[in-house]
Amino acid sequence: MNQHIDPGTLRADDGIERGGMLLHVDNISLSFGGVKAITDVSFDVKKGEIRAIIGPNGAGKTSMLNVINGFYHPQEGTITFRGEKRRRMRPHRAASQGIARTFQNIALFKGMTTLDNIMTGRMTLMKSSMLSQAMWWGPAHREEIAHRETVEKIIDFLEIEHIRKTPVGRLPYGLQKRVELGRALAADPALLLLDEPMAGMNLEEKEDMSRFVLDVNQQFGTTIALIEHDMGVVMDLSDRVVVLDYGRKIGDGTPDEVRNNQAVIDAYLGVSHE
Amino acid sequence: MLYRETGDFKSSYATDQQTFPIRSERYLFWGAMVIAFLVVPFFINDYWEKSVLVPLLVWSMAALGLNILTGYCGQVSLGTGGFMAVGAYACYKLMTAFPDLNIFFVVILSGGVTAFVGMLFGLPSLRIKGFYLAVATLAAQFFLVWLFNKVPWFYNYSASGQITAPERTIFGIAVTGASAPPWATYLFCLTLVFLFAWMARNLTRGTLGRSWMAIRDMDIAAEIIGVQPLKAKISAFAVSSFYIGVAGALYFSVWLGAVEPTEAFGINVSFLVLFMVIIGGLGSILGSFLGAAFLTLMPVLLKNVMVGGLGWPTDLAAHFEIMLVGGLIVFFLIVEPHGLAQLWRLVKEKLRLWPFPY
Amino acid sequence: MVLQARGHGVSPDFLNFIETVLNGLMSGVMYSLVALGFVLIFKASGIFNFAQGVMALFAALTLVGLQTGQVPFAHLINAILGTDIHHWGPGLPTVLAILVTMLVMIALAFLIEKVVLKHLVNQEPIILFMATIGLAYFLEGMGDLMWGADVKALDVGLPSGGSFWWEDVTRAWAPEGADYFGMYIDTLDVSAAIIAVVLVVALTLFSQYTATGRALRAVADDHQAALSVGISLRSIWVIVWSIAGFVALVAGIMWGAKSGVQFSLSLIALKALPVLILGGFTSIPGAIVGGLIIGVGEKLAEAYVGPIVGGAVENWFAYMVALAFLLFRPQGLYGEKIIERI
Repeated sequence: MNQHIDPGTLRADDGIERGGMLLHVDNISLSFGGVKAITDVSFDVKKGEIRAIIGPNGAGKTSMLNVINGFYHPQEGTITFRGEKRRRMRPHRAASQGIARTFQNIALFKGMTTLDNIMTGRMTLMKSSMLSQAMWWGPAHREEIAHRETVEKIIDFLEIEHIRKTPVGRLPYGLQKRVELGRALAADPALLLLDEPMAGMNLEEKEDMSRFVLDVNQQFGTTIALIEHDMGVVMDLSDRVVVLDYGRKIGDGTPDEVRNNQAVIDAYLGVSHE
Repeated sequence: MLYRETGDFKSSYATDQQTFPIRSERYLFWGAMVIAFLVVPFFINDYWEKSVLVPLLVWSMAALGLNILTGYCGQVSLGTGGFMAVGAYACYKLMTAFPDLNIFFVVILSGGVTAFVGMLFGLPSLRIKGFYLAVATLAAQFFLVWLFNKVPWFYNYSASGQITAPERTIFGIAVTGASAPPWATYLFCLTLVFLFAWMARNLTRGTLGRSWMAIRDMDIAAEIIGVQPLKAKISAFAVSSFYIGVAGALYFSVWLGAVEPTEAFGINVSFLVLFMVIIGGLGSILGSFLGAAFLTLMPVLLKNVMVGGLGWPTDLAAHFEIMLVGGLIVFFLIVEPHGLAQLWRLVKEKLRLWPFPY
Repeated sequence: MVLQARGHGVSPDFLNFIETVLNGLMSGVMYSLVALGFVLIFKASGIFNFAQGVMALFAALTLVGLQTGQVPFAHLINAILGTDIHHWGPGLPTVLAILVTMLVMIALAFLIEKVVLKHLVNQEPIILFMATIGLAYFLEGMGDLMWGADVKALDVGLPSGGSFWWEDVTRAWAPEGADYFGMYIDTLDVSAAIIAVVLVVALTLFSQYTATGRALRAVADDHQAALSVGISLRSIWVIVWSIAGFVALVAGIMWGAKSGVQFSLSLIALKALPVLILGGFTSIPGAIVGGLIIGVGEKLAEAYVGPIVGGAVENWFAYMVALAFLLFRPQGLYGEKIIERI
């Protein structure tokens, strides 16, 4: 179903062809004190695809995302994003390079409205000076209005117009997840990391969310890497899947390949580790 | 005039973003401003100036500053007294070193100096958080007050260790010094407060304000979505200290005229401003004013009742006042932790539907 | 090397240095004592209790009031009713007065829980912190209203004054004929240090070996989990605040006996804060070691840095030390390394 995309909708033009390498994770190892969270994991994400990272609890999936967007610094290995190689980087640098994400436990700004939350997503794209902002006049005001227009499009897209001015702390869980997706989308990301976007949702909410994820991928052409526990969702949505267990990569390939991989089956059914 | 938003349609994002989106609220605000600027100056006398209105404006300014740091950016500071002292001493040094410089610019420059000092003391906030930071700001408080006490250069080697504001004029009318007319000092402070409150409102609704609030609500997530913690925190410290510095400059030059650091800028000042922000409402411009008004007016009222009305000795009244302020703070926190501004918001929500309950 | 054996004896400069360190350790113990009150409450309830210092003042005021037989609120009553009362009798004996004061502190803990904390459960830490500042003002005002604001002497029968024995011993260390008169150590400081050590040991034993102590540690670890196994958070809070009241009483007695009972007594709380950031808010050993470091550092700074920059450095020196320390180790002396998660 991903084959019929109009390439004209692709944004974040970085000279990488669709299907070319967007992100390369090379031999990443990460440990806290003596505890190894990730051991020598490598994989890649191609432009325009939906890439799933799966694995049992504690497999190191969220840590992997944290490494990709610079929140954790791996002891070994490198990340190559849009042809740029790095090991250590501040998270806000990663954000301004075009990596946006959502979180496992919703990390919205609870005291702010839906609108303001999504506007923060555009932070890296707003440049007006402090003095101009203090005057609320001239460039700052024009910029504010221009970005507001983009944000309103995202609000439309996610169907959350009615909660535009509600502080997000008051919203129900499912809507908060949606606002969080909106905040990530607002950054105009080249790579979107979704950490369990459907955790704790009922069937109907999952269907809604799956639709949004697919639409984002197809309409905007955004590359997506997602962590998800619901195997049905993963197998349906993703183009390729990487499987982690105890911090190691045990499988990588299309959903079908992964489904028939013996190591993956063992990990999920709980064969003892010798 | 009823408080209604029905029929008040917005057709552009610009009008949707204005400060008072509801028409009757707008009228109320501008009406109040007309009275403050055009009516009050004709009736003001010395008592109202020195005991009520100028204090109210100076404390509002300080509360605005602290609210930017604590209410919007979530960094608790107990160093307000110290930063006000920086504003006051910068003002004094500038007034005496450049007698021809207009007092308006002197006050603004004092704010700038304080902003710089505030940035320095804000640097630890990048490493430490929460109560650790609150305690660290006490270092600023004690160190700064000590500095102004001990280094004679700051008080121009005067024998008493005090600093005294010379007379300075705007458009030929004195606004500092003993002979300044009440209406002039009042209008001078009011203009500055109006100007800076408006700028505070603009800053807090724009990109910078959002980056502050993002850091306040969830600093890790904020950094991951692209807020630079360094920029957000240091700018909050700078802007906040600027306001507090201006407040300190006005406190010294316009209101008191002469100050001695330990008395005027002690830790009690830090707490007082913090209380104003809490009682008024964290993260609310209006709250800064309400809090300042409450804690400025209540002691005046209490004093009039207890000493004037009941004839108690002043020390007894003072103790009672301390106890009452403490009790009220606890009471407010229990009843409405989000302060007077939240109460006002609730009243407005009720008013919108009045006379129907739902 | 500072220590130079000149003939047979130790250089007076070095002896002075030792004296400064010893005095620093003594006052450090006192800081630890106040910091301990903070740590206890913070561990058990996550509240940074700013009122700890005022609680010490209030306890000391109450103790003196009971000892001398003052009528509480005498000034207020006189002002309202136009009467002239001040004392109800010769006062209570010291031991009884201390016991009654302890009862008052327990009642205070109970009231604080009932009137304040109960209503602030689940509020943000900053709100609770504010509430304790409000509480500090309230107690300060009430203490003054109850007992008057004048400076009072407090004597609970502890020895005080310089120790002649120690002076004689140390004088012999200096070389013959040197201009040195021995070390001055206040016996009151020594007894305060001993009492503080006993108190710390007792508290540690209490928290390690009693059921209540175990419940306290459970609550400190995880409120929710403790609640779910049937520990009553509210009674724990009353107990913790009572213990903090007891610590405040001891601190109040010591500081009060040393420099009189007056408003400035409540400022010892501010002295204890750098100790807290140095030792970490949640660590009892941190409070003790931090207190000693700050005490010694402060005395040394006063003796060696103070004269250069114009004196009175003790107000901020401790804060600067703690701040510098924090920049390199944000979790404090004994805190665990913070791993941030998202």
